Amino acid sequence: MAPGSDRSLSRRDNALFLLCVVLSIAMLLRPQFGNQIAGLVRLSVLRPFLWMQERAEQSRTSRGAFERLRAERDSAAHAAQFLSSLRDENQRLRSLLHLGARLPVPYVAAEVLHQSLPTDGRTLILSAGRNAGVRPFDPVVSAEGLIGVVRAVDAERSLAWTWTHPEFRASAFTIPGNVFGVVGPALQLTGSEQLLQLRGVAIRDSVPSGTLVITSGLGGVYPQGIPVGTVIGQGTEETGWERIFIVRPAANPENAAQVLILRSSADTSVARAFASDSTP
Amino acid sequence: MIAIRADRGRLWTVLGLLAVLQFAVRPRLGYPMVAPDFLLLALMLYAIRSRPGTAALAGFLVGLAGDAVVPARVGAGALAHTLVGYLAAWGRAVFFPDNLFINGLVIAFGVWVRNVVQLLASGPAAGGLTMQLLVWSPLQAISTALMAALVLVIFQRWLDIRLET
Repeated sequence: MAPGSDRSLSRRDNALFLLCVVLSIAMLLRPQFGNQIAGLVRLSVLRPFLWMQERAEQSRTSRGAFERLRAERDSAAHAAQFLSSLRDENQRLRSLLHLGARLPVPYVAAEVLHQSLPTDGRTLILSAGRNAGVRPFDPVVSAEGLIGVVRAVDAERSLAWTWTHPEFRASAFTIPGNVFGVVGPALQLTGSEQLLQLRGVAIRDSVPSGTLVITSGLGGVYPQGIPVGTVIGQGTEETGWERIFIVRPAANPENAAQVLILRSSADTSVARAFASDSTP
Repeated sequence: MIAIRADRGRLWTVLGLLAVLQFAVRPRLGYPMVAPDFLLLALMLYAIRSRPGTAALAGFLVGLAGDAVVPARVGAGALAHTLVGYLAAWGRAVFFPDNLFINGLVIAFGVWVRNVVQLLASGPAAGGLTMQLLVWSPLQAISTALMAALVLVIFQRWLDIRLET
């Protein structure tokens, strides 16, 4: 090859490389631009591949979870023996207090499509979408506790932010309900354990280690009572205006294989909840 | 140095097979943080047979696909894969002798570098980088390198590699 031609090829290589780097940085600096492109790629080129992955996940979890599900079914069948009497008793007590029926929380079960990238776990692709009734801001939970919230939905799949995402927040309180705060990821560059922080706790309040933290229901995204984690210590707060508690999370998104998407109650009638109060 | 005279059709067949393995077989292996990354392996195999510019573009596209399925910070994956593709293509003269061990080592290093760049570009998150960079990334790099060795041995005629025995 002629030296001139080689130089021209080398210039073209460098130009292509720089163009790719500039485009990557542009997407990093303009997340909206990047998210639009990522959404287009997900819905077009990657669609058959994600379909393939969904089938593979279903195949793996259905085989792996069979024994566990059978054990859980046996336990559930045993517990269900007392369910009707408990339900009658609960209904009787609620009617004595003039309370309406408790609102049910509808849900959709979904598989988690894990990826090979190191940031997998901050966001998750779930195998249920708009066709299954999933909508943005629906909470995502596993058997252990809170996983995250749905942020984007397409017809067959949805994208969830987990509690490890830097922008995740949820209102929470400690059992027995005397300390409220906002839960978010404990952001750190070094460290080996994924932890949460309970921030915004009044300086007069203290929370002993081992206290359970659950969602408070404030804010309207997460229903009350989803386990978030357990307090393991107190963090340092530089300004001294609040207390921060370190929380060990109840559920790990990186290990979640199957989750429940709690459908928001916007499409559920709340009339039953007010029946006993509003009827003259 | 690897002779770059592989039949392009056969190369694309191997790359396509790796893409299918990534989505159809990898989920069945379990342990997503440790399982081999077939897409990065495909990128490295392509990069060592291409000019640096083309390899960078291929890396950008593979990274963009990764960002589309893990959009924690869109652009971080594209940047990391662009760098790995470009460096793999530039370094092939130095780092890609026909030795299975060296090939595996370089691919493992590529996985680790990709993870470092992507994690740094994505910013801090819960858990920090220590566990990711010192435990999960090396384990993923090793599993990918082992898979690379297997692919190179099985498809050495198709990829036109003369491996030392």
